[in-house]
Amino acid sequence: MITVNTEESPWHEGMTVRALLDEKVFTFRHIIVRVNGEYVAEEEYDRHAINDGDDVMVLHLMAGG
Amino acid sequence: MELERYLRNQNAISPQEQALLAQKRVVIIGCGGLGGYLLEQLGRLGVGFIRVVDPDLFEESNLNRQLLSSTPNLGKPKVLAAKHRMLAVNPLVEVDAIQVRMTAENASDLLAGCDLVLDALDNIPDRFILQQAAKTAQIPLAHGAVAGWQGQVCPILPGQDLLNLIYGDCQEYSGEEHETGTLAFTVGLTASLMAAISLQTLLNKGIPERKLLLLDAQKLEFTKFSLPVSSSTQWVGRD
Repeated sequence: MITVNTEESPWHEGMTVRALLDEKVFTFRHIIVRVNGEYVAEEEYDRHAINDGDDVMVLHLMAGG
Repeated sequence: MELERYLRNQNAISPQEQALLAQKRVVIIGCGGLGGYLLEQLGRLGVGFIRVVDPDLFEESNLNRQLLSSTPNLGKPKVLAAKHRMLAVNPLVEVDAIQVRMTAENASDLLAGCDLVLDALDNIPDRFILQQAAKTAQIPLAHGAVAGWQGQVCPILPGQDLLNLIYGDCQEYSGEEHETGTLAFTVGLTASLMAAISLQTLLNKGIPERKLLLLDAQKLEFTKFSLPVSSSTQWVGRD
């Protein structure tokens, strides 16, 4: 299991940030991803592996006021 | 201070705290959606001095969510509407209306003499200017932002630079609100949480540090994140 935005979520072998975002249907154009607190740049999504037990934070980029 | 207008603030706010609030000075950067609700709530709470900063005039597209906008004041300065509104709601509050865009050059002057600054801006680059100015002035910053059904709030103490963690290296991007729109209740919810943070900060009640609260009005969910102390992001904000 991994944690995604404070909730437990299933993990599978070979999971990448991109795969997780697709599975969770994060649809905003721009999002901020942190794995175990470490920022993951968008160009790393396809190759950044998510390991069992990781804590993933996904924020939508919002700036309206 | 035993004014009847603050009777229903008691006992959530003690008479001593109410008197203290009257001595406090805040500055709201941005007087649109978030800024209008913040003015309303902080003024009704009894904050003694509120500076509002915004260069804009009201447009028809503001009417869906901006509390201070109305059909008669379209084309009028937002900060002027703020001053008139607070004169009607609570004339005990001094409103300093400044019709200017905050920049790196004028930010320190705009924050001068204030105990707290409220981020009611509508873009990311200006938020980093504000964070730097608040850090330099050594005053706390209450951050808020909205997009569609979602909003976020985060208290930021001087030097924490939490916007770097929230926005990563996306400082030049526009927020999602240009796609999702901005809804009145999301703005009201977000501003209300910012007002709560403001009250706690001004009264030294202690607020959770390094926490980002996300709200999703569609899912009826609140999610609280702990923001890490160290970060690998290369984005260090603008000076």
